[in-house]
Amino acid sequence: MKKRTSLSVETHYFFMCIPGLLWLILFSIVPLFGIVIAFENYNPGLGYWKSAFVGLENFKYLFSLSDAARVIKNTIIIAGWKIVLNIIVPLIFALLLNEVVNLRFKKAIQTIVYLPHFLSWVILASIILRIFSLDGIVNQVVSLFGGKPVIWFSESKYFRQLAIGTDVWKEFGFNAVIYIAALTGIDPNLYEASSIDGLGHWGQVWHITIPGIMSTIVLMTVLGLGNALNAGFDQIFNMYNPMVYSTGDILDTWVYRIGLVNLQFSLATTAGLFKSVISFLLITVSYWCAWKFADYKIF
Amino acid sequence: MKRTAWKICFLLTGSLVLFAAGCTKNTAAKNTGKSGTDTGVADPFMKFDHVVEVHIGQMAYPTLPFPQGDTNENNVYTRYLLDNFNIKIVVDWSAATGNDYSQKVNMCIASNTLPDGMQCGRKEMLAAAKSGMLYDFTDLFPKYASPQVKAIMDSGDGSAYTYSMYNGRQMCMVGVDVAASGESMVNVRKDWLDKYGLAEPETLDDIEHIAKVFKEKKPAGSATIPIAGPDKNNSLYTNFLSAGVANCGFEPVFAAYDAYPGYWIKDSDGTYVYGTNTANSRKAFARLAKWYKEGLIDPEMGVRDSSDEEINAGHVGMYFCAWWKIGYGSVDAYRNDPHADWQSYIVRTDDGKWNTREQCPVASYIIFNKNVSDDVAKAGIIINNIWVRDENVLTTKYGKGTSIYWYPLRNSMGALNECEVTYENLMQVLNGEKTAEDFNETGSAFKLLYNDCLSLKDGIKGYKQGSNELSIENFNIDGSNFPRLYSILAGVKPSANARPDKSVYSGCYSQTPAMEIKWPNLETAEKEIGLRIVTGKDDISAFDAYVKRWNSEGGQEITKEVRTLSK
Repeated sequence: MKKRTSLSVETHYFFMCIPGLLWLILFSIVPLFGIVIAFENYNPGLGYWKSAFVGLENFKYLFSLSDAARVIKNTIIIAGWKIVLNIIVPLIFALLLNEVVNLRFKKAIQTIVYLPHFLSWVILASIILRIFSLDGIVNQVVSLFGGKPVIWFSESKYFRQLAIGTDVWKEFGFNAVIYIAALTGIDPNLYEASSIDGLGHWGQVWHITIPGIMSTIVLMTVLGLGNALNAGFDQIFNMYNPMVYSTGDILDTWVYRIGLVNLQFSLATTAGLFKSVISFLLITVSYWCAWKFADYKIF
Repeated sequence: MKRTAWKICFLLTGSLVLFAAGCTKNTAAKNTGKSGTDTGVADPFMKFDHVVEVHIGQMAYPTLPFPQGDTNENNVYTRYLLDNFNIKIVVDWSAATGNDYSQKVNMCIASNTLPDGMQCGRKEMLAAAKSGMLYDFTDLFPKYASPQVKAIMDSGDGSAYTYSMYNGRQMCMVGVDVAASGESMVNVRKDWLDKYGLAEPETLDDIEHIAKVFKEKKPAGSATIPIAGPDKNNSLYTNFLSAGVANCGFEPVFAAYDAYPGYWIKDSDGTYVYGTNTANSRKAFARLAKWYKEGLIDPEMGVRDSSDEEINAGHVGMYFCAWWKIGYGSVDAYRNDPHADWQSYIVRTDDGKWNTREQCPVASYIIFNKNVSDDVAKAGIIINNIWVRDENVLTTKYGKGTSIYWYPLRNSMGALNECEVTYENLMQVLNGEKTAEDFNETGSAFKLLYNDCLSLKDGIKGYKQGSNELSIENFNIDGSNFPRLYSILAGVKPSANARPDKSVYSGCYSQTPAMEIKWPNLETAEKEIGLRIVTGKDDISAFDAYVKRWNSEGGQEITKEVRTLSK
């Protein structure tokens, strides 16, 4: 009798999985067959089966381009900083917010900072371009302090910082939600016990709060590493221009220009496949690290 | 990872859709085949005896709204086609003109899901033809194209047919653009010139002098931009693969140095070289960098969202573009400031010569899916015939308030010299030497001329006969034909009154085999270095390193191909 109930509950859950699984199959598993394009001289009129097979020709050409090194470098730098800052900044914010006593104020702040997450980069990028334009707010502040106005988005030396900074600004409120949730899960008795034992405020943060959410931090880091080559197409594409290609052109925007603007499907797929393989390796490694060093397993 | 997955998925779902679409279309073809419209003698303006649906991909113009209640599927043009010809337009998808649209077109080609018909560029047409996706117009086109369309196709050297061919078959319908669209001029606020007692510009020195005065006196306040530059969606100049000139680009500045960047030109010993990489281009780049440094060119060029916004807002004193720009291209400028007197001038070399690039006569392509029934293809040809014959009736009589750009599958069709001929004839009517009725003939290649003449009556006021001088004050800016009249009477005026001393055509206007794969990389490098030199991010000496890199990364190979191709 008891067994039957638990089974019916499980069936229920399996049904709930179906939409997600369908999505996964349709958008992630089935398209894997398209990888074959990277090894062909793909002709969309002929399709996968009839296009000429060229082996590793596309890869050879890809890595002979001087752009390839630059694009990979930019991608790693931008994505790397985004991963690091998108863990640290929300974490610090969550810890700070955790100390706020006034509940209303806390909720208000939380809502306000996660609003930008819901804006698309298409909109946000043009707002940011305006803010950093020659007569935008930033330059008005700069000239107020006697500085010389700068056209921020035409300077390759600032582009990465701007891209990373605006991305962190957009996402930190939302990313903090997970940490805030984890913080509420810590047993309040621990704090009481520690203050009786004479542990100070900083001590509590260090010995109770941080260890309490460590598994969440590790999880977020592991998940984040899978994005090590995802520097954010939507954002970069809407912000960059040829003057900042040297620091701002990333794998995805490059693939876009080759594949969609110049109709070189095979070369674009090759670059995309290259990116996917590296990402896959990184996920594997980071998963192993999390298991080895933090004793954490997702599956 | 996600993006690749998406892309591959698009391809895949696309092929599924096509499979399904292919099935339905075949049955449709069978059904319509029976009705037998082919009776031997083809009528270029025949009305189908049943409704023929044409599914199109449509270029959309967010800044050109429809009158209340109309949509891109139900407007003055689609109703006209349905009521008079039984052609029903179904918009499968639409995308904003520019990057969005070309992205959508490329996506259709990548996934082999072409709608029945759509407009595209040369690169896309060739890619789709090469992949065997296109309807073959070789048999139907000569039969159904109207005499007017044929006259336009034959205008100039008749190269329009060459451009519509792939492997000896006509795989598309081409739009023949007026030659003036490939000649960039300097557009200047004449009212600002008058305000400061400046003479009209001729040479680069004149332009520099005017820009300095504009910069100093700031006629539009602190927002004044003496010379506008390309915005982030445009480039310093267009290359041989794209039609027309760059909006707010600098082609005339280069031409004044006898430089033609982006074109394959003959050097002193007669062999083809890439125009960007010449010593003359280097000189022009240095001049532009100097202007930028002195604050004469928009400091935010290349980054700005839209240079047009600045022009329309009345902040800009000068910019470079072709004839259509000060009329069709910036109507809002006059709505915001009815006294903004934009006039066009030729930019000459220091010794008074007018050098100019000339574009490929074919500017746009209409392609049809190879799976369409013959009726749909006929409808496509007829839609084109109707536009050429009825553009003026449609725009002024029925279509008031609906932009011409919304005409479905619109191919720009104008005889090469249409602009200049129209200008001359309109001036003759204005000067009282001819009347509008002199041009009342049907079937003329100059299909808009009669209507243009008629519209002078309430379009122009207070013109002093014989003076040949028209300012914005002479135009009725609310008139239905204002954009065209202003484009012709002000924008075409300089090219109608002078002939170029040197016309430069590109050695080729399409991609060679090596270019197909190597061009994207080279083009990126070219765009980057150009903007960086002009805006002073890189010194002019970086130009030499770029040329070296260009040659070593495939440029040399491509140049060789172009040389053999154009022998």
